[in-house]
Amino acid sequence: MEIKKILFSNNKRWIIGSFILAFLVLLPILTLFVRLPSLENTTFKYLWDTLLIDYTISTFYLLIITCFFSLLFAVLPAWIISNYQFAGRKFFDIVLYLPLAIPTYIMAFTYADILSFTGPLQVFFRKNFHSISDFVNHDYMQVEILGLLMGLALYPYVYSVCRVSFSLIGSNYINLSKNLGLSMTKTFFKVILPLSSPAIISGLFLVIMEVLNEYGAVKYFGVNTYTSGIFRAYGSMGDVGAAIQLSVLLLFVVLLFMYVEKKYHSRFKFYYSSNSKIQKLSILEKKNYLLSIVICFIPFLLGFLIPFLFIVSNIFLTYNQIDFLDLIELTLNSVSVSTLASVIVVLVVLFFLMVEKFTKSSFNRYTSEVISLGYAVPGAVIGLGLIILFTTIDRSQSSIVFYGSFFVLIYAYVVRFLAVGKSPIKSSLEKHPESYDETAKNLGLGPFNLLKKIHIPINKFAILTALIVTFIDLLKELPITLILRPFNFDTLATQTYEFAIEEMIPMSAAYSFIIIVIGSFLLIILKNSINKQINVS
Amino acid sequence: MKNIYIILIFTLLIGCENAEKKSQEVNLYSQRHYKVDEKQYENFTNKTGIKVNYIKANADELLERLKNEGENSPADLFVSVDAGKLQKGADLGLFQKVSSSVIKNNVSKDLQDKNGYWIPITYRARVLVYSNERVNKEDLSTYEDLSNEKWKGRILVRSSSNAYNQALMSSIVANLGGDVASDWSEALVQNFARDPKGNDRDQVKAIAAGQGDVAIVNSYYIGLLLSSQKEEELNAGRSVSVFFPNQGDRGSHINISGLALAKNSPNKENAIKLMEFLTSEEAQMTYVNNSYEYAANPNVKPSKIVQGWGEFKRDNLDLNKLGEFRDEALKIFDSTGWK
Repeated sequence: MEIKKILFSNNKRWIIGSFILAFLVLLPILTLFVRLPSLENTTFKYLWDTLLIDYTISTFYLLIITCFFSLLFAVLPAWIISNYQFAGRKFFDIVLYLPLAIPTYIMAFTYADILSFTGPLQVFFRKNFHSISDFVNHDYMQVEILGLLMGLALYPYVYSVCRVSFSLIGSNYINLSKNLGLSMTKTFFKVILPLSSPAIISGLFLVIMEVLNEYGAVKYFGVNTYTSGIFRAYGSMGDVGAAIQLSVLLLFVVLLFMYVEKKYHSRFKFYYSSNSKIQKLSILEKKNYLLSIVICFIPFLLGFLIPFLFIVSNIFLTYNQIDFLDLIELTLNSVSVSTLASVIVVLVVLFFLMVEKFTKSSFNRYTSEVISLGYAVPGAVIGLGLIILFTTIDRSQSSIVFYGSFFVLIYAYVVRFLAVGKSPIKSSLEKHPESYDETAKNLGLGPFNLLKKIHIPINKFAILTALIVTFIDLLKELPITLILRPFNFDTLATQTYEFAIEEMIPMSAAYSFIIIVIGSFLLIILKNSINKQINVS
Repeated sequence: MKNIYIILIFTLLIGCENAEKKSQEVNLYSQRHYKVDEKQYENFTNKTGIKVNYIKANADELLERLKNEGENSPADLFVSVDAGKLQKGADLGLFQKVSSSVIKNNVSKDLQDKNGYWIPITYRARVLVYSNERVNKEDLSTYEDLSNEKWKGRILVRSSSNAYNQALMSSIVANLGGDVASDWSEALVQNFARDPKGNDRDQVKAIAAGQGDVAIVNSYYIGLLLSSQKEEELNAGRSVSVFFPNQGDRGSHINISGLALAKNSPNKENAIKLMEFLTSEEAQMTYVNNSYEYAANPNVKPSKIVQGWGEFKRDNLDLNKLGEFRDEALKIFDSTGWK
């Protein structure tokens, strides 16, 4: 009776359940580790000796530039919009999220085209200002420009956290600082930025992950990062073992960043809700109005408007070659797999976070931490892990059950994007006091009811945010879809990519247009959700 | 929680439905993903009633998939745009030999695989394009000559991670030996106008922009550029000319796109029918009319734009060497700083 009680006590069941689920999530990555020791390491040693130093330098250089521009495009606009009332504020508050709808590789390909010798910018100068056309005739495909473009594509990750953080920092802090004689600028640097730094760091962490995993854009610009190394080993040299070894190395780099983020987060943790009322918006002074508009407009202009208009112009150029039936079919494909996977991601995330909350076991804190690892591994490598895993299972049954089915594709998506769905829900959960759980438990609510009656209602905006952000990431997803898709299955992203690498960028426009439009639409919904979140707190 | 189970069952069902259809079909793992391919497969289905299913991805990933699937693989044909990858697949024991007199008669003899594992469908040449303004045609001769000092700061080419450059370097190693290839690469890198980047089309644009004078590119992409919908791109394409190198000796480097029959092909007969169809004059006409490739069938002339560059002598190297020397080629790139 005693033993039975322990085994089947509520907590145990949940802990075992979450352990099994975490195991399933980590299985593709574990598969790679299992293959690791049996590898000959000649290629790895070769890469280590010849290229890895170069790769390391250019990876970190690109990271620094991208982070710099992400901060530049995110922090000031977020500050202005969070604190000042001015004409156009509402508009900017929506559109500053939109660059997230544009996949990084489309951003890179589009801008390379816009800035090229035959692109609109240089053509314009040649036709109208011939004397200075030589001045703008440059090779723009430089690592610095790539960092700028990736900053444009990724700054919304930082912007969104800044926006929430700046709004939640109560007016008490700002008033106090003003009363102590600090100017607004000084308040910003001495009070607001330090208080918001955990949020900013967590936003930057996502930017860093995206940069480390990017392949299409960096290859096109001729910048070699760790991911280029993985593909060089895997693709050109056909050495899967070395590719796995490099992935493990990359994983350690990511773990390092993760550790720093965690450390920082726990040291400077800041409970917004326990503080004062929401900051009231000040009216912007006239002399600062124009400057503020410019600061808010530039990220939108460069990060969304210009590439979007260029893509639209390409559609006009190719409209008679657009296969509308194909376009509709691929849209349905993309939307259905992304919906299914993002719903599963959110359910799995909720499960882990609830078990962690409910059982308070330190073991579960770790499991809900490690499920984020999938985000740190390049999609192509997760794909490889799953190929090895499922072909082994299928081979032992000597038939193909799983492999090449949607099941495997969705599985890979979930493994890869759990972290994306987790972060908004987790941070929302952290804001609510523990006493809710205690009270509910005392009232006799079980875990299901706790979730249903308390946590889903009070975190519904965070859940919606998680759904949308994951969905948009899935819509843009490329490497996993390419390698794990079933027969005759294309998505908007794969079709865009196929045209792009065949150097037929204009033909890809209709497909990327749909990705961007769906993404933008959802981001506008998301923005409303974030605003409500701010008001709710 | 119930939802998870429902969704999981739902996904499994979609998966199973795919695995069930078996009869009268042929399954492709393809690195080729042009619109013309879909057209060909439709034509084939209309003619024979055999449905063509395909997965398109990178060659190495597809080979890895094929290797892991082993006997259970649903794949009948592997399609690649690089003879090196076909050789690699054959080397890994993933293919079986094809003996069809129809295919043999359809395809130029010198393009065929000497070991009989793969068949070519089209080919492209890695050519030089040069600025009409700044380069005398007489100054151009061979790939090797591009390492001459007179080209300092004038050569444009994309990254060494590109398979077409890897194939070119492999051909030079195969023809002239590793030491010569290494010296060549070292000197060539000194002549680069800029760090390798972009795609083939970008190299031509860079000539138009005056950033360099001679570029190493695939004939296929020049055709694409010359049929661009954008006036400025057409101008860029017209500001350069195509030159076939090494006409005085071994001929210009070419690479094929081709098919190989998977070792455990479940629909072998259908697969061979598709191979026969794709090499037939009818299908080969479709290729050349919709893309800028050369036909593997000697009776089919290339498209007008391609014909405009004239005929050329192709390097008769055994194309399997493009795979065999791949590793050495990569090491040469890395040791000589061709990024």
